[in-house]
Parts: sequence; structure tokens; C-alpha cells
Amino acid sequence: MRCQVSVLYFARSAELAGLRSETLSVPRQITSLQLWEEIVKAHPRLAVIQDQVVFAVRQEYVLLGDQLLVLQPGDEVAIIPPISGG
Amino acid sequence: MDETEDVPKDFIKLKSAKLSVDEVSELVVSPYCGAVSLFIGTTRNNFEGKKVIHLEYEAYTSMAETEIKKICRDVRQKWPSVKHIAVHHRLGVVPITEASVIIAVSSPHRAESLEAVMYCINTLKASVPIWKKEIYEDEYSWKENKECFWANSEK
Repeated sequence: MRCQVSVLYFARSAELAGLRSETLSVPRQITSLQLWEEIVKAHPRLAVIQDQVVFAVRQEYVLLGDQLLVLQPGDEVAIIPPISGG
Repeated sequence: MDETEDVPKDFIKLKSAKLSVDEVSELVVSPYCGAVSLFIGTTRNNFEGKKVIHLEYEAYTSMAETEIKKICRDVRQKWPSVKHIAVHHRLGVVPITEASVIIAVSSPHRAESLEAVMYCINTLKASVPIWKKEIYEDEYSWKENKECFWANSEK
């Protein structure tokens, strides 16, 4: 079962993907690493930052790895490169 | 005494207009507080020998505001006497010497507001989804806070 999620790109990831946001159809249950791999399939240039990003899923940080995500239609998934506020 | 008893408030703003130290300090002033402590983060003109022309900030705005609210909640747990907290962060272009962030905290006595301000800026740098781009003469660089646990700095 798949659903549509909103993927948001920031900072270097927006430059590499060439866009700031899009809707993607992804499996409802997926590990965070598998989700990253789906996104890289769509935007191969993102592969270079794999070691440096985390996700924010429904505005909670998620590391790339085995964590199982249960996604709902319309969920926000953001690519979060290393932050530099302040 | 004032009827409203000055309910503790958090003032959080992300904006592209120039930040004002007067405005931020006035937000936290309270007749119950003898101390207002401030941190101002300003733009430096150099990094590792390169001339910085200006900084540019972007944010995941809705999540940044939520994360700053969490920081305020943590501050009130650690320093219960803290009265008001204001965090203003600038987005977009920030010229040299102008402020990118101003944090103000009021408390009855000075120790709590001084400690709370330091906690706010340190935690902001570790957890709030805001990004800074340093623009040099010939290139630019996305900065990475050393506080950010997923940055690659040691690899």
C-alpha cells in the first residue's frame, strides 16, 4: 500500500535535488533508509550527502536506518542537512 | 499589584527584516523581574582567512518554531523562576555586523536569566532546523554547527 507524502528539501539538499518540495508516492510502511533510497532514485545527485542528512517526519527527527516509519497521506517528510542556525 | 500577574510568555519570531535589540528586550521586561539577559549573534566578516560578504539563512519555518518552543519549555523546567523568553531569528540576507539572532530572557534575579540565555543559544544551534550559507568573494559554503550531531565534521 502506497501513499502520497510531501517531501521538502532544504539548503544543500535543495540545490542537489533542484527543487524545494514535491509530492512522492511511497510505501506506507518503510524504513527510513529505504525511504532515502526511494528519494535518491528520483534525485541521484542527493547520494553525495547520504552520510550527513537526517529526516524530519511529521516534524520529528529520524536518522537514516532501520527505523520503521508508518506514513499517512499528506505527511511532511523533510531532508535535513547539518543545521547552522544562530 | 498588576491583576494579570504578568503570565510567563514565549515570543518566537523568524523574519527577514532587520532585528531590533530594543524590541526584543522590551518584550521580556517585567515589573516582577530584576534581570533581563541578552544574547546577540552577529555576522563576522571573515572565516579561515576568507572574506565573508554576507550570510544567508533559510529555515524549515514551522518545525523551527516548534523546536524553539520546546527549548522554551525546557528552560522553564530547568529555571522555574524565568519569566519571559524571546527568540528572534533573521532569515534571508544578513549583512556584516547585523544580528542574525537575538535571545532575551527575564527573571527576578540575574543567575537564572544568564544561564537560560546560554542554554537557549547552545540548544538552538544543536536542534533548530535553520541553515546558514556563508557568501565569500568567489564561492559560498553551507555551514554546519559543531553542535549538530549528524554533521560530518569528524569524518
